[in-house]
Amino acid sequence: MKVLIVDDSQIMRKIITGVLKKLKVNDILEAVNGQEAVTKVSENEDIGLVLMDWNMPMMNGLDAVKQIRASGSKVPIVMCTTEAEKERVLEAVKAGSNDYLVKPFNPKDIQNKLGKFLAACTT
Amino acid sequence: MKVEYINPFIQSVQETFLSMMDCEVSHGKPFPTKDDGLSDNLIGIIGLSGTAQGNIAIKFPAETAKTIVGGLVGTTFTEINSSVVDGVGELVNIIAGNAKSKIQGHRISISLPTVFRGGIHKLTTPSISYLTIPFNSNKGAFEILISFRPTVNEKEEALHESAYSG
Repeated sequence: MKVLIVDDSQIMRKIITGVLKKLKVNDILEAVNGQEAVTKVSENEDIGLVLMDWNMPMMNGLDAVKQIRASGSKVPIVMCTTEAEKERVLEAVKAGSNDYLVKPFNPKDIQNKLGKFLAACTT
Repeated sequence: MKVEYINPFIQSVQETFLSMMDCEVSHGKPFPTKDDGLSDNLIGIIGLSGTAQGNIAIKFPAETAKTIVGGLVGTTFTEINSSVVDGVGELVNIIAGNAKSKIQGHRISISLPTVFRGGIHKLTTPSISYLTIPFNSNKGAFEILISFRPTVNEKEEALHESAYSG
């Protein structure tokens, strides 16, 4: 399964990559902003899961989710963000994200949140 | 500055360090920020806007920054490189983002973080005053600097509060 990590922080991408590798996910793509994420989703139809930060330069994660959905892609998208307020979560869901993971998180939180998406892709 | 505006930042620091590094931190008594004359720091700063305005900064001595960011990714950094700088920015982003969700009755947005190397004198201006909260951990001491100014009065805050709960 191919997973796209979208985050402008190289440290955060490295943290998430480490957890995914422990979950035996080794096919990992990275994007540093929403615009790059939209392009990578359109160019890689085999992406099975997108982990999307919210606050990024160039294009934020919310706008990227909207563009990905507008393109017709149904790829599961999990927002991974510090934006924890209820109205922000609802905004993300309304835009088309499938789930929400609030920073700060530990590896176990990532594992628990992504388990169902990874399982769905491997069955 | 009201305690209800300070506590969310203390809680956010503690939660972030415990969750991401399994590191417990303690804090000292807040005090008005003064130039401590120390110049070799990494300072990550993020702006607040909305019903409150200001800045949140995290100030690490350079050596502590290497240790703490290294702890995030299980690496030893021997120099201040782009990864360490990036990690300081991500930490202030997470702390500010987490804290704003804990401040009742306000709708606050955060900017993208900026990180620079230097002393506090690069941060403070005559028009912006900060409150320093000192922290200590087994990875080293660091500080959070808060400049927080509500832009709506108490009555308007109550209206925001009821709007959220509704």
